[in-house]
Amino acid sequence: MSTVDLLDDYEAGELSVEFEGQEPWDVLEWAIERFGDRLALSTAFQDGDVALIDMAYAIDPSVRVFSIDTGRLPQETHDLIEQLRDRYPGLNLELYSPEALQVERLVRRHGPNGFRRSVENRLLCCNVRKVQPLNRALEGLDAWVTGLRRDQWASRSDIRKVEIDHDHDAIVKLNPLAEWTEEEVWDYLRDNDVPTHGLYAKGYSSIGCAPCTRPVAKGEPVRAGRWWWETDAPKECGMHCAIETGGFEHELHAILGAKAHG
Amino acid sequence: MTTGTARERPPKPPPTEELVLKRNPVERLKREKSPLGILGELPQLIATGYADIPEEDIVRLKWWGLYHDKPKVGTFMLRIKLNAGRVTPAQLREIGEISNAHGKGAGELTTRQTIQLHYLDLPSLPDVFDRVAAAGLTTAGACGDAVRNTTGCPLAGVAHDELFDVSPLLDEVATFFYGNPDYSDLPRKHKISISACAHRCNAPEINCISLVGALRDGEPGFGVLVGGGLSSVPRIARELGVWVPYAEALEVLRAILDAWKEDLRYRVSRVKARLKFMVDDLGPEGMRAEVERRLGRALADFTLPPHPGSDTTHLGLTPEKRDGHSSIGIPVNVGLVSGDQMIAVANLAEEVGGDVRVTRHQNLILTGVPNARIEQTEAAIEAIGFPLDLNPVRGGAIACTGEPHCNFSVTETKTRLDALLDHLETRFGNAIAELRLNLDGCPHACGQHWVGDLGFQGSTARDEAGTRHQAYEIYVRGSMGAVAAIGRPVFRRVPTYELDRTVAGLVAGWLDGRRDGEPFAAFATRLSDAELGVLAGRPPSTSSRRTDDTDDDQGA
Repeated sequence: MSTVDLLDDYEAGELSVEFEGQEPWDVLEWAIERFGDRLALSTAFQDGDVALIDMAYAIDPSVRVFSIDTGRLPQETHDLIEQLRDRYPGLNLELYSPEALQVERLVRRHGPNGFRRSVENRLLCCNVRKVQPLNRALEGLDAWVTGLRRDQWASRSDIRKVEIDHDHDAIVKLNPLAEWTEEEVWDYLRDNDVPTHGLYAKGYSSIGCAPCTRPVAKGEPVRAGRWWWETDAPKECGMHCAIETGGFEHELHAILGAKAHG
Repeated sequence: MTTGTARERPPKPPPTEELVLKRNPVERLKREKSPLGILGELPQLIATGYADIPEEDIVRLKWWGLYHDKPKVGTFMLRIKLNAGRVTPAQLREIGEISNAHGKGAGELTTRQTIQLHYLDLPSLPDVFDRVAAAGLTTAGACGDAVRNTTGCPLAGVAHDELFDVSPLLDEVATFFYGNPDYSDLPRKHKISISACAHRCNAPEINCISLVGALRDGEPGFGVLVGGGLSSVPRIARELGVWVPYAEALEVLRAILDAWKEDLRYRVSRVKARLKFMVDDLGPEGMRAEVERRLGRALADFTLPPHPGSDTTHLGLTPEKRDGHSSIGIPVNVGLVSGDQMIAVANLAEEVGGDVRVTRHQNLILTGVPNARIEQTEAAIEAIGFPLDLNPVRGGAIACTGEPHCNFSVTETKTRLDALLDHLETRFGNAIAELRLNLDGCPHACGQHWVGDLGFQGSTARDEAGTRHQAYEIYVRGSMGAVAAIGRPVFRRVPTYELDRTVAGLVAGWLDGRRDGEPFAAFATRLSDAELGVLAGRPPSTSSRRTDDTDDDQGA
């Protein structure tokens, strides 16, 4: 049992109020100082994620960054990883892969593209390839950083910059970009010449696994860009980094029940 | 506070409308299309189908009391407003019928004295709303940035010992605010409580505005508490220090709401939008000055008499004002009421010529029972499935909606509280009648875990093998009433399978070691974390907080 001095909800609530109106790097600076190498940035290499890497690296080049390599990522994601490694020498980036045995079992049962056949199969795939590795990445951390923003999804407008993540053993979750708009993120990326994901230029609005995302035409709903073939899928899943809200795991357990553990 | 290390900043200029719209997606959403109008779009929404409805419209539906059920695949929760928990037999019967017709017979009583239904699919909503309206009920502003259900003493107008009857004012306030477009675009939700209960039973300490009934030179009126509220950043309400004559109550409520809703500082971020943050910024004196400025007159000084500290549940028999009649408080275990039970209670109330009330402790009260018929009525209540001899600890216990309905909840809530109560009852019996347990599945605190004798908030913890389990944080030193205070989690990440044992240790320690019938909160406050740890059989969580940071949690 850990007896590390962590924040409780009261402190997190007060801090979240205090950090309103402050810049993302203010939150990062405080968090890096407070949690050191027990803190890591989670990244799916979306627009906000790389902005956070740039900010955090400027504060502390040894800051930990992790991502989930699901095994089905587009080539452009791996290209971007290489670019980031060049741009930020010594970048402390850990890539987590799914458990081989779990992937093998999943593919044996449902085929390599089983996720096309049902919402349940797709959730099983997300679970094996993303949720389980995420949980492994968070093990041992005291705090993690996400790129969640209030403007990403109408039901996400109340997220706080400092939260206790009760889905993940009550560690601290920081959302430094909560207040920023998409436009501010891109201004930052341009102003600081940060490498960005190649698929944005090809019309993608959210970056995920290759078979499950596609470009969205102007005027099309966001849902058209991810798991577009599904009906009766839980709302919100897949909208940007839903996996980082915890809501994804709630849906997973509600729909898959005990299967979510296997 | 001591935790903050964020740098001091020069004060920012007051925000502009432009900044508000840039920073706050919900302010944009409200400007683009008023949420109150969304009900008229139901036919188009149904034609569109749940999956393709823009999330913005789902958010707008909150203004009519609707929330996503869990999982988010097409059904909704509906919250029906009941002014201070008052509901007629005919209305309650109709809610039960709606539940049976469209909501799988599910129902729950809430801490704001409303009734919530679940499982309502989109195509059922026109019928649901037609029936709600036909019953003379409303859901307008049950959720969303509006004046939420007004709470109050459930025995308003009835109890023999109330200071005076606030029912006409409750009606006036509901008629004015509910669905009023001028008060449906607030910076955030707003909670009003009005009561002249002799026991101050209505949790005035944790509402945005509470009008607390009092007599001044024999005249009825109110002291005013402002800026209370729990959620993620809890505050005990602060006293405005003014006297509001009964006839001026609505005018003063409007002035307070106007001061807040017109100040753009409370619209930039929803994290800082509630009235409590304005009271933090201005202090009660500054708030009073602003209200008086808007009224164009000074209000007389007034300080409320101390909280009586008596029981606030109204369980059991209460003599009514009307000669020969009584109210029967009905403990409803963890607040769950089926559609059939609602209908049965409604029929019974009609038969005895009484009314029904929903309490903030998630119980029911049957009013207007002729004393000659008490025994017979009690038997009928028990036959509906509400045993009246429940240990009062159950009547006082509160759990949030949680599993299986709520998208936020991390753990079981009502079912877990029920099991915990089983354990404690078996071991301690009636010795724990007065203990108040509040259990929540997430930090939003609908079940008010910050102010229970023992508060529980859902979390998760891994065992030594790395397997994750549901877990709870145990809050102590919180309380309501005479010594209102915000509790803190002294034990964290307690796996669900260790919860009963841990809590029983604390309760046994209190029963053995309390002085002169000391309430649990006072006992827990007297002991150190380490001493509580010995009783609980597990070490307290260490934290930086226990230094000098008591201002916020002890606020008047």
